[in-house]
Amino acid sequence: MSSTEQGTSSAAPAEPTTAPESAAAPEVPESFYYVHGKDKVVHKVSAGALQHSALIHGMISNLGYTEEQAKANPFPFENIDGDILQMVVDWCNQHKGKPTPPEDTNLPKQKEKLFDLVLAVNYLEIKELLTYCCKQVAMMVKGKSPEEIREIWMIPTDAEDEAAEKEAKKRAGKEAAGETAAAAGDAK
Amino acid sequence: MASIIEMPELVLDQIIEFLDFKSVLTLRQVCRDFRNFIDDLKVSKLPDSRFTEIGMKVDKDICLRIEDQDRHQYKFIYSEIENSRSFNGKTTTLGNWNIVDVAVRDLELVLKFQKSTLSWSNFDLEDCPLSKESPFKKLNRTIKTKNLVIISDSQSGFMSILPFFDSKTLEDIYLNPTNEEMQIGIDEIVKTEQWRNAKKIHCNFHALNVKVEDICHLPRVIVRTESISARDLDFLKKIFITSSKLKYCDLRMRNFEEKEELCNLWGPAFISGSSSYWYFRLKDSNKNILVFRLREPSLGYFFTKSNFVWNGAIVHDYNEN
Repeated sequence: MSSTEQGTSSAAPAEPTTAPESAAAPEVPESFYYVHGKDKVVHKVSAGALQHSALIHGMISNLGYTEEQAKANPFPFENIDGDILQMVVDWCNQHKGKPTPPEDTNLPKQKEKLFDLVLAVNYLEIKELLTYCCKQVAMMVKGKSPEEIREIWMIPTDAEDEAAEKEAKKRAGKEAAGETAAAAGDAK
Repeated sequence: MASIIEMPELVLDQIIEFLDFKSVLTLRQVCRDFRNFIDDLKVSKLPDSRFTEIGMKVDKDICLRIEDQDRHQYKFIYSEIENSRSFNGKTTTLGNWNIVDVAVRDLELVLKFQKSTLSWSNFDLEDCPLSKESPFKKLNRTIKTKNLVIISDSQSGFMSILPFFDSKTLEDIYLNPTNEEMQIGIDEIVKTEQWRNAKKIHCNFHALNVKVEDICHLPRVIVRTESISARDLDFLKKIFITSSKLKYCDLRMRNFEEKEELCNLWGPAFISGSSSYWYFRLKDSNKNILVFRLREPSLGYFFTKSNFVWNGAIVHDYNEN
């Protein structure tokens, strides 16, 4: 018993001795960039955090913006909802410069949000986060029946799908007919 | 709001990689889009089904049996009369589909997920009507298995199955007739990669026109055949005493009339009961001795330790010629 205690106490000091070293390393001044989503709310994010996104990383490397330039030119992601972009930014900040854990349980439980997050993360090319999201999406349907999966993933049945398609075609057909009729009217 | 169906392919690929085999099969039933997507997926993206055994019996009906690593069995019956498929207590009428086509499609689907090598594959064509084509003709892939058992009454029956097995993973082949006395040619079978690469072959029917060159490379072989000449037996003996790869060879003859020639070639045999023995030392081993045993009409080569040689029997020294 006492020997194991000794073992742990002798191992413990190793940590503090390495920590100050890394803290003492000269710090590179961090650069910041600005992003906004559909809601135009601008987020200030460090280049370090943005490294998770291969897309943004590619956009900012070699850009050489000054702080003012960066502020004046936020990256617009009009295809991403504001709350989803917020989630992405939060995740990047939390995992800045850290090796990513094998699992992330802190993803949205609401499936609509999760799907939107998947699309955003896929677009922004954040590989690890995409893996977590995909895993979570997969786990939703593991061991479920086809009917349950259809419900969980909100998939229309083939019949509904066909009906919707038919409806769309009909509408398109009517519009086209309307147009030709209008065009015919014009010609007269 | 995003819909799962609209996800980019790469995302769906990744989602499917997290699912197990059963979930992916279920997903296939959810809707047409998923079915098409999964059927078009590269095999490397699919989970391994890890089955250990596959069996198929073709008579009037077709029975497909699959066993997983927990020894849980899945059985599909395709009935010709009812033109239906039964699985798990559920019977589906197949409408315009032919049961062979459906069985093959199901088998293909199962095999698509099978990445690990099966331990056993059993194919029984015993009561397969002549008019029925082999389900395998339409199979679009090879099957990886260690052991293969085929029951058929013709070379074409065996040939309708054997070539569909991956010759690199296949080790032991058992070819069984539907009736012990059946005579079947093997000239096509011996040309296959599967025959040439096998580690063990048990050919349990009377094989016609067996050539010694076709069996002399097989580490373990049992063949029933018409007869064999003393010269061929001497040829086989030479391979046995020089090659360390061979383990045994058992030839079961209808008749064997060249015992005298054998004695001329190898000298007198050691007789014990109804068996005659000849012993030969090996090129590269002093521990083991090759035994040739003749118990008419069967004969065989195998190895034994020197202390198992009958007292008084002659052990021939290794001689290249």
